[in-house]
Amino acid sequence: MYHPLSCSPSRHLDSSQTQTTEINFKESSEQSKERKDQEIQTDPEVSKEFELLDDNSQALTDFLRRVEPMVCKALEQNIRSHAFDGYEVNWEEDSDVIKCLHLLTHKEMTKDLQCTQLSWNKTGSTLAVAYGRMDHQDWCTHKGALCTWNLDRRGLSSTKADIVIDVPSCLMCVAFHPTKTAWIAGGSFNGQISVWDMSQEDEVLLATCGMSDDSHREPVTQIMWLQDPEKPSKYVLMSTSSDGKILMWEIKERKKQLVLREGFLLLASSLPAGFSRGGRSRTDKEMGVSSLSYVQEDSNLFLVGSESGGIFKCSMNSREPVPTSEVMPSVPLYSPVTFAFEPHNGPVHSVSCSPFHRNLFLACGTDTSARVYSMLESRHIISVEPGAGYLFSAQWSPVRPMVFAVTTGEGQLLIYDLKKSRNVPVQSLQASPESKEVYALEFNKNQKQLLATCDCDGVIMVWQLNDELINQGAREIEALAEIANAIID
Amino acid sequence: MSNEVEEILKRVQQMKGVIGTIVVSQEGIPIKTTLDNSTTVQYAGLIHQLTAKARSTVRDLDPQNDLTFLRIRSKKHEIMVAPEKEYLLIVVQNPSDGN
Repeated sequence: MYHPLSCSPSRHLDSSQTQTTEINFKESSEQSKERKDQEIQTDPEVSKEFELLDDNSQALTDFLRRVEPMVCKALEQNIRSHAFDGYEVNWEEDSDVIKCLHLLTHKEMTKDLQCTQLSWNKTGSTLAVAYGRMDHQDWCTHKGALCTWNLDRRGLSSTKADIVIDVPSCLMCVAFHPTKTAWIAGGSFNGQISVWDMSQEDEVLLATCGMSDDSHREPVTQIMWLQDPEKPSKYVLMSTSSDGKILMWEIKERKKQLVLREGFLLLASSLPAGFSRGGRSRTDKEMGVSSLSYVQEDSNLFLVGSESGGIFKCSMNSREPVPTSEVMPSVPLYSPVTFAFEPHNGPVHSVSCSPFHRNLFLACGTDTSARVYSMLESRHIISVEPGAGYLFSAQWSPVRPMVFAVTTGEGQLLIYDLKKSRNVPVQSLQASPESKEVYALEFNKNQKQLLATCDCDGVIMVWQLNDELINQGAREIEALAEIANAIID
Repeated sequence: MSNEVEEILKRVQQMKGVIGTIVVSQEGIPIKTTLDNSTTVQYAGLIHQLTAKARSTVRDLDPQNDLTFLRIRSKKHEIMVAPEKEYLLIVVQNPSDGN
């Protein structure tokens, strides 16, 4: 069986057997037999009813009889007492310093564009900046832009905006929608008004007024959202322009259009008698409107500041016709003025109604003074002259009734506290690294510690205010009312 | 009798600047109130405790002395407490309402 060629020694083979032990299998079954059902139930929680203890005892009557005179006397004395007037206890640790939280620039813009206006969104987290120029000699050949920064975003870039929307001409003003976080309106140098929806990916433009007989013929100077007087859930846009028009626009989302609903025209004849510069102004001419502010509680009443220096109280209900100009808009224009205040000696850049007193407002302008007026009196009540060049912007604090801020032509942000002083600012801050004109300031209404400024180099600064400027003191509203009432007495 | 209780409370409530009036029992349970339920419960419980603490403080300092009236001035209110053995009268006033 082996091959004969093998030359190895022959193998030994052996056979044997092995066997594992047998595997046993066993089958069995089991079954538990006992069962038990148990029911459980939690008691419904009895909501604790509010109950007054029933006590009609004589003891209670006696007690009240005894204490009434003492309590009433204390109550009476207390209401008349001035012991605690101006008494303040400070429980919090003070942060005295105002610091600059962010210094923002958009690199591409800073070459030849300036920041013209600012706006915070509804939540106070996003800042929108209008880029344009304030110093046009003639045609605007610039390309403006709208930039936004979300300050709560991680990795906030201080040299590049989060969102940039290019605009064909200089953008002069912006305003975030009061309720819709992503909506923003802007007005440009060529008179166009646009509304954008920043939440859209591709087509951000929501509506525009186009170029028609209705649109502004001169730069838009201010834009503002106003609760629709007819449908309070909606908002309309108010715009003012150097062409003297104050227009109310309705947004037609479907048509992507802004439709003119009402219009007013400011005429030079509204200036108080005796005020004419060089006698060259013709009274039937229109006057450029530079700013607009609404009275808090009354959306029929608004104030305008004009480029001729005049400040006017206006009514939305005014139906006084104006002489027709060469262009006929689709709605009749009215002269809105009901009262003229003592004018500034130069263009008014900003008017701002006090959020805490319906009769007080603030105005500032090229005559280097900022003034507090009462609606009831033509003459101003308080005037501050910081001596730092033109004043470009003035605004009341949204939280401190006695505080307002102004920005100057020499790069400062000045904060005044009327409680402390009527002519010396409590804070003077360098809001422009190169000491250039600071064109705009904007208090943040939601995050009350924040304030933003922007200058003509395109530098935006976001400030953190100190505790003193964000916490209302005792009886501050009353003190403001005293200032307002002083003029009546 | 209880009519008189109501009348006294009404008089107190009509004083200038008064926001609310509560009568509390010895155990801190409200008996009469002009405020809403949850506010009443809070005021009754907390002021009752505070009054007890104030009283024991006064008596610990001088055993001959006793608490007669407790007034708490806050930013917004003044809370006045008239204590006695069996009852507490709590009146909340807004002192800047006077003018």
